[in-house]
Order: sequence, then structure tokens, then C-alpha cells
Amino acid sequence: MRSLIYDRYLYLLMLPILFYFVIFKYLPMLGLVMAFKDFNLTMGIIDSPWVGLKHFERLFSSPDFYQILRNTLLLNVYSILFYFPVPIILSLLLNEVKNRVFKKTVQSILYIPYFISWVVLGGIIISLLSPSTGVVNAILKLFHIEPIYFMKSTFWWPVVYVLSSIWQSAGWGTIIYMAAITGIDAEQYEAALIDGANKWQQVWHITLPGIRSTIAIMLILRMGQMLDVGFEQVYMLQNDAVHSVSEVISTYEYRIGLAGAQYSYTTALGLFKSVIGLILITSTNKVVNLLGEDGLW
Amino acid sequence: MHIKQSMSERVFYVVNYLFLALCAVVTIFPFINILATSLSSGRAIMSGEVFLWPVEWNLSSYRTLWQDGQMFVALKNSVIITVVGTAINMVGTIMIAYPLSKKRLRGRSIITKFIVFTMLFNGGLIPNFILVKMLGLMNTYGALWFPAIVSVYNMTIMLNFFRGIPDSLEEAAQIDGANEIYILVKLILPLSMPVIATLTLFYAVGWWNNYFNVMIYITSSDKVSMTVKLMQMINTISDTMLNSGEGVQAQEKMVPEGIKAAAIVVSTVPILCVYPFLQKYFVKGVMIGSLKG
Repeated sequence: MRSLIYDRYLYLLMLPILFYFVIFKYLPMLGLVMAFKDFNLTMGIIDSPWVGLKHFERLFSSPDFYQILRNTLLLNVYSILFYFPVPIILSLLLNEVKNRVFKKTVQSILYIPYFISWVVLGGIIISLLSPSTGVVNAILKLFHIEPIYFMKSTFWWPVVYVLSSIWQSAGWGTIIYMAAITGIDAEQYEAALIDGANKWQQVWHITLPGIRSTIAIMLILRMGQMLDVGFEQVYMLQNDAVHSVSEVISTYEYRIGLAGAQYSYTTALGLFKSVIGLILITSTNKVVNLLGEDGLW
Repeated sequence: MHIKQSMSERVFYVVNYLFLALCAVVTIFPFINILATSLSSGRAIMSGEVFLWPVEWNLSSYRTLWQDGQMFVALKNSVIITVVGTAINMVGTIMIAYPLSKKRLRGRSIITKFIVFTMLFNGGLIPNFILVKMLGLMNTYGALWFPAIVSVYNMTIMLNFFRGIPDSLEEAAQIDGANEIYILVKLILPLSMPVIATLTLFYAVGWWNNYFNVMIYITSSDKVSMTVKLMQMINTISDTMLNSGEGVQAQEKMVPEGIKAAAIVVSTVPILCVYPFLQKYFVKGVMIGSLKG
């Protein structure tokens, strides 16, 4: 009791923010009951009739569902395989640079795309890859390669997707790892040098173990997003020709749910997505804990 | 202590420098190409001559852009959304992160769980949309600001930073009779500039670049942000670019192509101006870690 009074200002400070979490984070969770109702705007959530699992039955029997689920999972698997290691490797390489000016310059340049909206990046990518006016095809032409319709090819589109992710955020992603590397005790490296450890051994036995817990946390957070593909990136890059590989859960939710006003059906999809996300993030955290790391909690 | 580098290490250093330089060049090249395009003539753009340097210099793309006038309004809207939004975020994040950084606080662990859970599970698109609608926030900037007051991820970064500040400082102030709010404002915040700068930038960039929420919540065209305006412009011309096999009506297309590049440049420059000032804080300010303890 004494401590409650003693820290009353701290509680007062938190109170409005806790209220915010209740209203804007927990209330929408209650709103998920819409998935079991036939929601319409005029009746409101409480008065709309219950329909049981109708929307889930429709969802799981719809071919659309399996297509968007497959596309979402595939893009995320590509991204974990080909994107996730890139910031780690870049940080290790940057860490070996002795020349401070060079290091700062490279870092500053690599961060830039992260500060730019997907609307802009998407516009730039489409321009660059244009078969007639784009620079990439102009370069291919020098080697007598026929123009490639990158954005309209179901083979090239996922490649463009992953490369554009690397372009946009791999540089920025190094910040977290660089901060972790800075935290490693310099004495460890000195000791290793005296023992005659080479560069590779130092990276393998000191640097990587030093950032292992950061990698673990980033991976846990990433796993929680397995059913989330950022809406904006896909929306900017997609077009009708590559619909079969580029339509993902988030773009489908927008198209059917908001543009098509099928609220209850789309909420069922959203609930499915949230539950799977929760399972993935908690189980990854469990695995990380079992491996002896701290994890997210 | 000087240790002679082995041959293989020297090779590694050279390759490393070259590789990183290449990464930097590839990263920056598209922007330079767009900048060059925005300053080139329509003819040069359509014939694919523009590479790193403008061909047949002219500013007509920029002139056309400003004549429209709508770009100015959208730019102003983006500034309002970003400045107010970021201010709300910073105040909100400090208000929750500071109390939670105090290990002695009763109920800290349960409150942290209550907050972190929202990072693991959420209501999703439709319930959030319905909530905003029911609160009467449609077509107001409140629809953008209020549902996003605190990012839990950013909160954990700030919380970890606060935890790194020695308790002894605070205890000394408490003996002098200062209350928690006073300590926070006069003592803790001035010491926290790295994390404040970093998170200000994180939030500001998020607002500046936000597209989706503006698209779904803001309906009147004089209120939309730069990104939405830009997207409208790009949509009107990108189809022609995707199918540009038949680039015959070049006369029609050449101006939009350059205007699009100019619009991209204009919407990108403001954020690039702020960023060098905040950049030096990045590494010091961003430490993530386990949430337990």
C-alpha cells in the first residue's frame, strides 16, 4: 500500500496509455465476435444475428483462401530464407571496416530506402524494370538479351518482391545488430588475438554468440508475422497479370473486406490469421527458450 | 600491439570494401536515376537514354507539378499528420515506458504482459475499421493518430534505454524531495536524447510514409497526404509503362513519366533533410532485449 502511494505519479502517468490500450487494442479483439455473426453497420455488433461458423465454412471451402494462404506463406518463406540473414551478414561485414568515413558513408546510403514510402519505392521499381524505358532492360540490351517483363511474369515477381525487401530494409536492419555488436566486450577480441585466433574464428566464436539473443528476438518477431505480408509493398508492386502469385491475405482483406464491405467474412479470415500468428510467435519463443536463450519473454 | 596481417586477411579486407561499396552503389543508383529522369526532357526519357545524368536538362516536369497546386496541399497535409502524430507518439511512449522501467513498481509485470500481448494478438483490420467508424473519426486525422498512440516495439526500445540509466541519479534527486514527474522531465529525459531522437525518427518516418490508413480513413481529396496523391498520379500512368511494348503515343506519355519522377523527388526530399541530423543517435538508441526481468 505504501508503495502505491509512493509511486502514485508513475501510475497516473501510465493510466491514459493503459486506457488507450483498452480502447484501441482490446476492444477490437472483442470485435472479433463479428466473425460469428452476420454483422451489418446499422444494427451494430451486439444486435447483429449469430450465425455460428458459417463464415469459417465459407472461408475454408473457398479456393481463394488456399491461394492467398499459399502466396502469403511462400513470400514469407522466401523472405526468411533470403532476406533475414542479409542484415546480419551486412553488420558483420560493416564491423570489419576500419575506415570510419567509409563505414559511415556506406551505412548512411544503405539506410536511405527505409525512409522512403513504398508508394515511391514501388514507382521507382516499376520505372526501372519497365521493358521499354527502364534502365535494367536497357542494360540487358547491351548484352543482347531480350527485354524481360519483370512485373508481369509470375516467375520474376516474387524475385522482385524479395529483392525490393532487401533494398528497402536490409541496411536499416543492420542497426539492431550493429548496436548489439557494439555491446560485446572488446577484451574478448584482445584475448582471442593473443591466442592467435584468426578473423573467421573471432567472428564465429565471439561476434556471432554476442548477437545471438538479438537474432533470436528478431526471428521470434518475424515468425509471428508468417501470415502477414506488408500490405503496401505488395499493393504497390502487384498487377492483374501476377494476381495468382501476388494476392496475399492483407490485400485480399482489403479488397473483399473494405472495398467489398464483407465485414464478417473478412473478420473470420482476420481471426484465423491472428490465431496462427499467436501460435507461431509463442511456439518459436518456446523453442528459443529451450535452446537456452532468453527469447522475447 | 601490432600483429602482422596474413595474406588471406588482407584479401578479405579488400574484397569486403569493394563489396560494401558495390552495395551502396546499387542502393543509391535508382534514386539518382529517378532524379536524372525528373530533370530530363520527355523525348530522352521515352527513348531510354537517361542513366545517371539528366539528358536535355529542363524543369518542365517540376513546373507542371506545381501548377496543379494540389501537390502543395498534400505536402502540407503530410507535414501536419507527421508532426502532430509524432508528438502524440513520443509523449505517449514516454508516459508508459518510464513507469514500466522501474523495477520496484508494483504490478509492473502484469501490466507489461497486458501491453505485450497486443503485439502478439490483435483484432485485425475489420474490427479496427469498425471501431474508428463508430467513434465518428472517419475522414479526420484522429482516425490516423488515436489508434496508433504507442508502438509496443518502440516502447520496448525506450524501456530498455531507461533501464540503463543508473538508479543512483534518481535516488539522489528523491532525497532532495523531487517527485517522479519532475525527475522524469528534468533528469531522465535530458539523458535520453539518443533514444528520443531515434524514436522520433522511427515514428516520423512511419507517418510520412503512411499510405494504407490515409487511403481507408481519409475520404475528401483536400485532406489526403502526399503518398495518396502520389499513388493517384502513378496509377494514371503505370499501366502504360507496364505494357510499353507499343510506345507509339510517346507524345502523350512523356510528360506524365517525368512528372511522376518529379513527384517522387519532391516527396522524398523532406525526409532526407531531417535524417542526417538524427542519424548519429541510431546505434546508441536502439537496443532491443528480452521483456522479462
